[in-house]
Amino acid sequence: MSDTTLIGGIAGRMPKFLRRADPAVVTAFACIVLLLLVGSLYSRSFLSPEYLLQQLKVASFLGVIATGMMLVILLGQIDLSVPWSVAVGAMMACAAAAYGPLGSVLAIPFGIVCGIAIGVVNGIGVAYLRIPSMIITLATNAVAQGLMVVYTGGFSPQDSATPAMRYLATGFAIPAVPNAVIIWALIGAAMVFLLTRTGFGRAVYGIGNRERAAYLSGIDTRRVVMVAFAVSGGLSAFGGVLLAGYASKAAQSMGDAYLLPSIAAVVLGGTSILGGRGSYLGTVAGVILITLLQSILSVMQMPEAGRQIVYGVVIVVMLLLYGRAPASR
Amino acid sequence: MDGAVPLFSMQGISKRYGGVRALEKAELSVTAGSIHAILGENGAGKSTLIKVMAGVVAPDEGRMLLDGSEVSFASPAAANRAGIVCIFQELSLIPELSVADNIVISDPPKRFGLIDRKAQRRIAEEALARAGASDIHPLALVKDLPLSRRQMVEIAKALARKPRILILDEATSALTATDVAKIFGVLKRLREEGLALLYISHRMNEIAELADQCTVFRNGRNVASYAAGSKSDSEVVELMIGREYSHIFPPKPARHGAAVPVLEARNLCWTDRLDNVSLTVGAGEVVGLGGLDGQGQRELLLAFFGVLRGLAGEILVDGKAVSIASPSAARDGRIGMALIPEDRKTEGLMLPMTVRENLSFAALDRLSKAGVIDRATEQRLIDDMVELLAIKTAGLDIPVGALSGGNQQKVVIAKWLMRQPRIVLLNDPTRGIDVGTKQELYQLMRKLADAGAAILFYSTDYDELIGCCDRVLVLYDGAVKRELVGAEITEHALIASALNIHGEGAGPLQGEGA
Repeated sequence: MSDTTLIGGIAGRMPKFLRRADPAVVTAFACIVLLLLVGSLYSRSFLSPEYLLQQLKVASFLGVIATGMMLVILLGQIDLSVPWSVAVGAMMACAAAAYGPLGSVLAIPFGIVCGIAIGVVNGIGVAYLRIPSMIITLATNAVAQGLMVVYTGGFSPQDSATPAMRYLATGFAIPAVPNAVIIWALIGAAMVFLLTRTGFGRAVYGIGNRERAAYLSGIDTRRVVMVAFAVSGGLSAFGGVLLAGYASKAAQSMGDAYLLPSIAAVVLGGTSILGGRGSYLGTVAGVILITLLQSILSVMQMPEAGRQIVYGVVIVVMLLLYGRAPASR
Repeated sequence: MDGAVPLFSMQGISKRYGGVRALEKAELSVTAGSIHAILGENGAGKSTLIKVMAGVVAPDEGRMLLDGSEVSFASPAAANRAGIVCIFQELSLIPELSVADNIVISDPPKRFGLIDRKAQRRIAEEALARAGASDIHPLALVKDLPLSRRQMVEIAKALARKPRILILDEATSALTATDVAKIFGVLKRLREEGLALLYISHRMNEIAELADQCTVFRNGRNVASYAAGSKSDSEVVELMIGREYSHIFPPKPARHGAAVPVLEARNLCWTDRLDNVSLTVGAGEVVGLGGLDGQGQRELLLAFFGVLRGLAGEILVDGKAVSIASPSAARDGRIGMALIPEDRKTEGLMLPMTVRENLSFAALDRLSKAGVIDRATEQRLIDDMVELLAIKTAGLDIPVGALSGGNQQKVVIAKWLMRQPRIVLLNDPTRGIDVGTKQELYQLMRKLADAGAAILFYSTDYDELIGCCDRVLVLYDGAVKRELVGAEITEHALIASALNIHGEGAGPLQGEGA
């Protein structure tokens, strides 16, 4: 308990709105501002609205994927099947598009349903068969990869995205605001509602904190875990659908670049990797932070190898910066 | 002591855990070549005393003398080096390793920095022979041995450390009569060899057979030491009780005939922990579960609550057989069961979550419309509960872990009362909470019963069983050994039946033969 009183003491000297916020979320937002300031020293255009909106648009793909990841991490689990859930969503949606007008209409739901199917397998494995999530999700990722290689013959599929997918990813329903950003906002709002206002959300936090206590409180913990993995799979696939719309087509290993960033975004946003603690606002901050970091490193024209090193080191440093969360057990 | 110089003595040892004092100026002296038995109720301080001796916990005050010079142990390893070795209640063997590996695990013989397997095997064989278990192969895996053989390995492991003082804490509780006889032979031989043995058991007949010297503990103090055989069973029980009563229990209503049965169990069996348990709890009744700690009471409560897999027997609610497959089935409206679990910190609460979230956690399905929590109803029910139980908290949005133990326990109870349960199972709910809160809980329990709830109440505190219960079932080895009704519920009867002494304890000892 001494950790709690220490934090209480520091928090006591902060303004009220800061005191109520999670210190990790505040740190993440502070880092975003810092990155923008550093970037603006390099080039004035870093503070231009066009650049910021562009970054927000790029961030929304990661944002959609990280939303599902956050739900799973809140349970104290992890979903490593993200890379190929993304690719499956993208490829299956494009594949459906090749089957005439009806296929075009069903392309997006079909892609998402395929992702949910992967998530359900993960969920059954973790919740009912008690396989560690790290193993089962890695396994389903490999299976999904294999299935896609069989389907495409190892080449990038020739089917292209439907107009609807392109519109969702690149269009503008509201002038100046990319559709992808609106979609992320809607999904985010739904997740906030789910986590804060529903019994399911409470159960997720409860299980993440103390699965035994949640179970003994009469929560059907296995169902909650399974639904969370299904949602994660579905959102990963939806992220893939959007990415396919953005690039006009699906590609092999298009999801590989989203595994570490989605986990890092959630954790940088203050969600405990052990589960049970974290807010969606933090995940938003984490997603933006990671997107900005990637953008600034590429604008600085750092070679790829250097970018990877800096990127990894920054994530480690930031996690250290937050300090290990005080254990309340 | 016959003027013998004590090998080891403890003087004025005190130990507190938070506000609870476990030991208060306790004294003990142990002589070489004798078996010293320690007796006392649950929570009398025996376990803490041993932990202090074995270097597991450090005393707050007091001195320990070994061979007349003062010692203090920073760790169990330090105590081992001084020759004090303890065999704890729970087995400490690693199932996947061999017997020899386990015996030398803390200090394996080495050659060139690697474990010398030949020497290891020799040491293990010697130790097993000394423990009278040379029939156990040193290279057998521990997981392949039956429980009684493992206990022998445990003793061999202790002997391999060349102890001068050997402590056995309930070391025989898992053993059959023949194994116990074998171990007694070994212990007597060790006594001949000049070891000092400290023996803790709840089985009175074992103590009578084995001990030279007895010390009775009560409330963290040693209240009497006497040569074994110099006091009758009845006198020993008196010594173990000897506590003042305080009038903190609400009056029990008079009974008129049998209550309408709400919860019934018929021949419940589960692995070797529950043995044909049958019982009935009526509406408005508080039924206690008594007996020594760990005789199947907790498993019985979990069995009712749908937690145990592979349960045999029947559970009836309102006279109809029901199958309760999970806690969510148990709390369902038609059954309406609630369990106040054993450990509020890991089973009752999510400590980092807020008081509000914890309070409504078990009743979320009732507070929600289409899965969405109705915040107004939630707030109203929470306010009702905070008022009803007088929960003292700095606010509803602080972590529940910041509350005092008593208030945490109130939150656990409140979260279940929110569902208005008809059957309430309580698993030692007053452990580690202050007397004031205890009193409130007793009154609450009686209030719930008066409102028609059926209450099954397990407590390790005999006073509570006497003060609160209309009937008490005493469990021993997973079976109901005795039912005490109304005025029969006395401390004497409870202890006597908990120790499974037949008659009223005044007669000569009749061991039940384990």
